[in-house]
Amino acid sequence: MNLALPREDVTAGLLAAAVHGFFILLLVFGLSWQIHDPQPIMAELWHSLPELPRPSPPPPPPPTPLPKPLPEPVPKAQPVPDTKAADIALEKKKKEELRKKKEAQTLEEKKRKEELRRKEEARRMELELEHEAARLEALKREEKRLAEQKRREALLREEEELQQRMLEESLAAETARIKAKAAADQRASEIAKIVAQYKDMISAKVRGNTRLPDSLSGNPEVEFEVSVLPTGEITKIRLSKSSGNADYDQAVQRGIEKSSPLPVPSDRTAAAEFRNLILKHKARE
Amino acid sequence: MEVTQNLSLIHLILQASIPVKFVLGILLAASSMSWWHIFLKLFALKRAKGETDSFEKEFWGGADLNVIFQRVSQDREGAGELERIFEAGFREFLKLRRQAGASVNVIMDGTRRAMRAAYQREMDGLESHLAFLATVGSVSPYVGLFGTVWGIMLAFQSLASVAQATLAQVAPGIAEALIATAMGLFAAIPAVVAYNRYTHDIDRLSNRMESFMEEFSNILQRQATRPA
Repeated sequence: MNLALPREDVTAGLLAAAVHGFFILLLVFGLSWQIHDPQPIMAELWHSLPELPRPSPPPPPPPTPLPKPLPEPVPKAQPVPDTKAADIALEKKKKEELRKKKEAQTLEEKKRKEELRRKEEARRMELELEHEAARLEALKREEKRLAEQKRREALLREEEELQQRMLEESLAAETARIKAKAAADQRASEIAKIVAQYKDMISAKVRGNTRLPDSLSGNPEVEFEVSVLPTGEITKIRLSKSSGNADYDQAVQRGIEKSSPLPVPSDRTAAAEFRNLILKHKARE
Repeated sequence: MEVTQNLSLIHLILQASIPVKFVLGILLAASSMSWWHIFLKLFALKRAKGETDSFEKEFWGGADLNVIFQRVSQDREGAGELERIFEAGFREFLKLRRQAGASVNVIMDGTRRAMRAAYQREMDGLESHLAFLATVGSVSPYVGLFGTVWGIMLAFQSLASVAQATLAQVAPGIAEALIATAMGLFAAIPAVVAYNRYTHDIDRLSNRMESFMEEFSNILQRQATRPA
């Protein structure tokens, strides 16, 4: 039975705690060693404080203006009373009264007339105002109508423009397509030319490497399927159509094997045609 | 976030997210437990080895079996593993021999079974808690890694919400998260080493016990065939 003594228990616990304490210490100090001290702070030392400019004394208060003595009113000369004949004065007075009465009458008349005139004027003004308002209204309506018309015209124009643009665009696309097609056609024909040229080269090379057997009669045709790497290396040759003459077939196959690497165009698209080549070979051309 | 972060360990742990703190707590507990068991097992194995050595010396030194048996059966708890196996086997042997009409085969079978049972018990005691060490050794790196991944995830999440991303914004989070991995490795490495070491030690002890059992069986068989 594994019976740990109690003393052993405690010892093990203490040792475990010590190991952890060590680990944590290592982590704390190991990490804090990596931390750089804060950047030094620059401080300037002054031998003595610089002379500060003295605060200027407060400006003297503005002198209070002394109240000016008011000018003494000058006494007016008293009119001298007229002491001439009283009747003359009376008559004068009467006349004066009459005149005043008349004056008042004419004034009243004038006032009435004036009032009438003013009323008339006001009526006229009102009428004129009404006229003016009507004219303004008409003007506004006219303006609105014009704006509407303008807007509609602009819309129409825009639509037309749009149609025009679309037409132009479709035209451009069409021409581009035609051009692209023409270019593609041209390229295809070029590639076909290259392919034909290289095929001729290949068959010439094969022919040069083929030694026809002596027992050959007639002009038999044999067909091989050849897998070609992009570098021209032949990876596989398979007889797809025999000529009927096994010797001849074998001779041609050997010729093809000898012709590796085959001439292959550097053009990528053209080279793709040569990946799986069907090679027809006739004994004589 | 400032650029001049305080990267001290305590600061990092304190500002860690809850899952990371949780992981750190689990790992600390696992590490403490595993270290505790490592030391306990170390003492226990050392004691077992010493006791086995001394017992073998005594046994092969030609001491009287009856004397040894007397001593061991008086203090079973204080005896070593091998002594207890010896005691169980010899007790069974004496009992069976006292029975009339028991053949040698029956006596030897019974004795061997008794020793085998005692041996199993002792092995069980020796191997206890080794599975815990193995578990800590294999799992705590993953737990630590989980904490790290979580912390880094959070760090990058906080990075996503700012317009100008700088390293200073993620660095504290990643440093904090990596503590979890460090902790996991710290728990795992000693546990794995101790597990391997102790398995090896226990294997050797068990080999010694098994060979002793065989040899002791031979001695007993010789005694059984001799007429009492």
